[in-house]
Amino acid sequence: MGFFYISDDPAPERGACDADVVVLIAGGEIDYAAAPQLRERMARHVESGARRMVLDFSQVTFIDSTAIGVLIGTGTRLQRTRGGSLTVICGKENTRVLRILDISGIDSLFELEYSREDAFSALATAG
Amino acid sequence: MHNSLDHANASRVLSDMRLAARPSQLGLAREYAHGAASAFGLASDDCYDFAYAVNEAVTNAVRHGGADEHGQIGLSVVADENRLTLAVHDYGNFVLPVPESDASSHGGRGFVLMAALTDDVQLSIGAWGTIVYLSKDRP
Repeated sequence: MGFFYISDDPAPERGACDADVVVLIAGGEIDYAAAPQLRERMARHVESGARRMVLDFSQVTFIDSTAIGVLIGTGTRLQRTRGGSLTVICGKENTRVLRILDISGIDSLFELEYSREDAFSALATAG
Repeated sequence: MHNSLDHANASRVLSDMRLAARPSQLGLAREYAHGAASAFGLASDDCYDFAYAVNEAVTNAVRHGGADEHGQIGLSVVADENRLTLAVHDYGNFVLPVPESDASSHGGRGFVLMAALTDDVQLSIGAWGTIVYLSKDRP
């Protein structure tokens, strides 16, 4: 089985952004074996009232179609039920993961940013 | 006289393996595919793409397909001079993916990715199960 982890970032540097943002960090390979962990972790935050969620995928090397389905499901849920949003951070150098997200044609269902600075400044602007 | 041996020699079965039809085995399937692509001489990004496509096919087999009486599915690698093909064989009834009507529908995304990341995708469906053939050509 591939290597995968996901955890909460309890004290992220938010810049100008307020505290109403949950930040999660994942790394490694997110395949059909790992996707349930991603789904459960995100669902727990949605159920406890999170409106805006940032997923830091800087260290993710692989994301399969089932994990993309989890992102779409959670992003849609946040948008529709709370007017919230899901932001995925993936560095410009992570070309393999960026290309998979691009082929999947899902950019309308969550925001994609290249860095945390970009993500938080976009969220601060969105309010 | 037609010489079928020439054809058989041109396209060789390089290896095959049986894999337990469980999510925990997907990493092994990716390693197997990556190794086959690397041995065939594909560049690093092409090896990644090939392993990605194989992972999608094996995921489908684990999710929707059927295992044989030993709880396994089959993977085999065939190559000729210019084309590497990996076949994923499961023993269930093929589930036709629903074409994507909007971006949020899940159905068929795996096949879209398989098609985008390989040079050829073919399906063979029969009473004996389903085989997905994924091919990558030498650049």
